[in-house]
Amino acid sequence: MRRQTSAAADRYPAAAFLSLIIGLTLSMTSLAAATTAARGVFQSGPDFIAECFASQPSEKKTLWLTDELREQVSKILGHPIAGLRVRYHQNGSKTAWILEEIGKEMPITIGVMVDNHTIQQVKILAYRESRGGEVRYPAYTRQYQGASLKPDLSLSQSIDGITGATLSVWAVNKVAALALYFDGVVTQQRTDA
Amino acid sequence: MTNKTSPTFSHSARTNILWHRRLGLSVFLLLIFLAISGFALNHSPALKLNQIALSNNWLLSWYGLEKAPAKGFQVDGQWLYHNGDAELFVDGTEAAPCRAPLLSAAANDNGLFALCADSLVMLTPQGQFVEQFSAIDGLPTALQGLAVVDNRLYLINESIAAEFDPERWSISPAPMAVDKLARSQQAMATLPQALAQQLEQHQSGPSISLETVILDLHSGRFFGQFGVLFIDLIGILICILSITGLIAWINRR
Repeated sequence: MRRQTSAAADRYPAAAFLSLIIGLTLSMTSLAAATTAARGVFQSGPDFIAECFASQPSEKKTLWLTDELREQVSKILGHPIAGLRVRYHQNGSKTAWILEEIGKEMPITIGVMVDNHTIQQVKILAYRESRGGEVRYPAYTRQYQGASLKPDLSLSQSIDGITGATLSVWAVNKVAALALYFDGVVTQQRTDA
Repeated sequence: MTNKTSPTFSHSARTNILWHRRLGLSVFLLLIFLAISGFALNHSPALKLNQIALSNNWLLSWYGLEKAPAKGFQVDGQWLYHNGDAELFVDGTEAAPCRAPLLSAAANDNGLFALCADSLVMLTPQGQFVEQFSAIDGLPTALQGLAVVDNRLYLINESIAAEFDPERWSISPAPMAVDKLARSQQAMATLPQALAQQLEQHQSGPSISLETVILDLHSGRFFGQFGVLFIDLIGILICILSITGLIAWINRR
């Protein structure tokens, strides 16, 4: 069979070359389509908040980042956080956070809902990198459900990575840990008050 | 079966090979350049060609680029301006991330506000970065300006204006007409010389990406209309080269 194919290629080299070019073109087109599909805004912030709290009203709140908080945040993110405050929504023990972290070069906008100090939902709201967009699939984000924050500021459960999306996975891990940390801070503040 | 040493090898076949060689010699350097530049353009994101900025004086004048006078917005006694890259400056200090261009700026009791290409940046009255609002937070799209009337902040786009309260994180329709609010906008003005000089040290000035230069060379646009026609001609010669090559191959068989 292999010999027949080889003989056909010898006999019709132009056709074989043309087939190769068409094959390569189709492969490149599929690759370009996959790259384009990775980017996008998948859900707006207000829609995510509405989804998190369903019909229950949530309160819009602000967490001011003190120097002490900024120090802890730097440990989680591996770099200082920009801005003086972070906004969130709260209803009882539930808090919802929309945070951004850079994957490779562009920020990924991630929504995290926390209830009783454990993650209920992680959702990629906007992805701007050209590669690694697989982190937005529910099959991946479901892994964060039930995760809490360990004293060393890491997640309580291990998250399986995605080949070719390592930096995006790290970014989602950091944001998940950050949301849990912020949730702990606002809960503590409420208890102190 | 014919070959070029047999008597049946026609005169036209020899002429074909002769012209094939001539054409090949004429275009081979350009063909290699087109192949390499095409390869570079195809892989431009991976090679980060669009991030390599060229600011050679000769190149800039070839493209007709001149340095525009540095401009910004003076609000609440402070100058808000952009370095042309991705940072917002307040009175000589890098303050916040801000995608160019800086469209508008305003101030009220809550602080300073700068409208960037895709977000609204909020700063303290002293110019410290507080937070950033974007479309994903529910901010209206295609915003063109900011205005402050009676200490209230308004977001303006072509047809609608909305009141924005950054503390309550709420957006509501503005109680006045867009054109009236548009007239209240702070106008852009030329920066004081000291700030302009400082900015010049921070910014790279006008530049052209390597990707643009390679693309223009590849298409011939770098040399104007003549260059485009020249590359068209090379394209035609490459087609003829392929045809003469095919004819030569058929003749050999």
